[in-house]
Amino acid sequence: MLSVENLHVRYGQIEVLHGVPLHVQEGEIVAVLGANGAGKSTLIKTLIGWLEPSEGEISFQGERLTHLSAWERVRRGMAIVPEGGRLFRDLSVEDNLRLGAFLQDENTLKEQLEVVYTLFPILAERRKQVSKTLSGGEQQMLAIGRAMMSKPRLLLIDEVSMGLMPILVRRVFQVIRELREHHVSILLVEQNAFEALKIVNRAYVLENGHIILEGQPDELEKDPRVKAAYLGG
Amino acid sequence: MLILQNLSDALILACTYILMAAGLTMVYGVLKVLHIAHASVYTVGAFIGVLVFSWIGNFWLALLCAMLISGVFGVLIYRSTYFYLLNAPRTVPLIASVGMFVMFTDLLQKNFLMGPYQRAFPAAGAGLPAIQTTWLSLTPKQLLILLVTLGLLVLLYFLLTRTRLGLSWQAASMDREMAAAVGINLNRSIAANFFLGSALAGAAGVLVGVYNNSVFATMGDLPSYKAFIIIVLGGMGSLPGAILASLLLAIVENFMVASIGYVLPRDSIAFLVLILMLMFRPNGLLGRE
Repeated sequence: MLSVENLHVRYGQIEVLHGVPLHVQEGEIVAVLGANGAGKSTLIKTLIGWLEPSEGEISFQGERLTHLSAWERVRRGMAIVPEGGRLFRDLSVEDNLRLGAFLQDENTLKEQLEVVYTLFPILAERRKQVSKTLSGGEQQMLAIGRAMMSKPRLLLIDEVSMGLMPILVRRVFQVIRELREHHVSILLVEQNAFEALKIVNRAYVLENGHIILEGQPDELEKDPRVKAAYLGG
Repeated sequence: MLILQNLSDALILACTYILMAAGLTMVYGVLKVLHIAHASVYTVGAFIGVLVFSWIGNFWLALLCAMLISGVFGVLIYRSTYFYLLNAPRTVPLIASVGMFVMFTDLLQKNFLMGPYQRAFPAAGAGLPAIQTTWLSLTPKQLLILLVTLGLLVLLYFLLTRTRLGLSWQAASMDREMAAAVGINLNRSIAANFFLGSALAGAAGVLVGVYNNSVFATMGDLPSYKAFIIIVLGGMGSLPGAILASLLLAIVENFMVASIGYVLPRDSIAFLVLILMLMFRPNGLLGRE
């Protein structure tokens, strides 16, 4: 459903992604693993439309959207859980969720609120609370919930585990796996290869702006390069 | 009685500040641009108002036309300039804004537009009565300003808190990129924001024109910096802050002049307040961290 060809992205003079190929099938959970500075966030930002590639093509469900703006991509079924959550800090939990469903009608909004509150009962309890007063874990859940409000076909997740306690990391990855029941494909970029490989169907390894490996989790876990770089030997 | 009279005067002055600052703070909230050329929109509003009024003689129609055309003018300013500078460092749109303000003021002074003279705007109070109670004493003109301002503020409050458009502005003011990534069409949302903010500035221009019975090409000079001071006082991007700061400034100005006299030029008081504010509470009265 998502296919990326030869993606080049640069900040000014510096090229960060040097011709990345990538694809995600319907119903798949795919991870892009890589160290700090490998270009993972750049990749996600380009996919949602915050950055424009200097070369290459992005197509989604058979349609080219390389030069479409973020809101046009959301309309076509993408959603993002950005790094750090990026909640609308001064708005309540429910207003954040409402904004997540900005393009949906009133019925879908109600349905999806139900879905999100079932996934994260804590958010229902905190409905009226201003989002910046939530704990780190709750904020991350709200960010995921907000993205799910638009009934996305493809969810882009940027470093969801960053800054969370290990126990919460496990919980969040569990939730991501459960999201599959809602007919959403997922592309997540992660530094935490160990936890990510437990839930994905397939993964890429990104190093210095190049995809150097692709494979099933069990193959990658055995690969000495992955072991050395991301799984602590 | 003198105090009450001063309060009434201050209230009316505050109304014109509020209309001007509300638009400016809305634009700042969403774009993070100090839109100095907002004062040109105010002058254009007054000019359109006086033109339509001299043709048709109906104040309300003149106000409506002035607001519509000011709104469109504001959107044109956005689409022709700020739109291309959204990702530039913040000083770039600021410089562009000052440039536009100077350019528009000069253009308006040309003979084929307003010329270098004052025009009368004899709409009086648009047929409203004078109000004389123990607490409030308002001339028809003052009542007109008060009613129009309150009406527009109620409309604004409704738009901001009860509509998707208002929610989209709030989202964009907190995180523009993220707002786009929940599906908000930023082009449309920002254009609507400019339209409304500019229509408010146009209304302010008309009201001040009527109040002073005078409209001229450089009438935006004073509001260009005073509205800016008000939104700094109130807390950048905070609408309640802008309203509060407008009231405070108008009251201080009126009472300083009434009780101490013209120790300072009246319009310099705003700067004094600004300096004090920046020293003791740089985020403004109701500003966010």
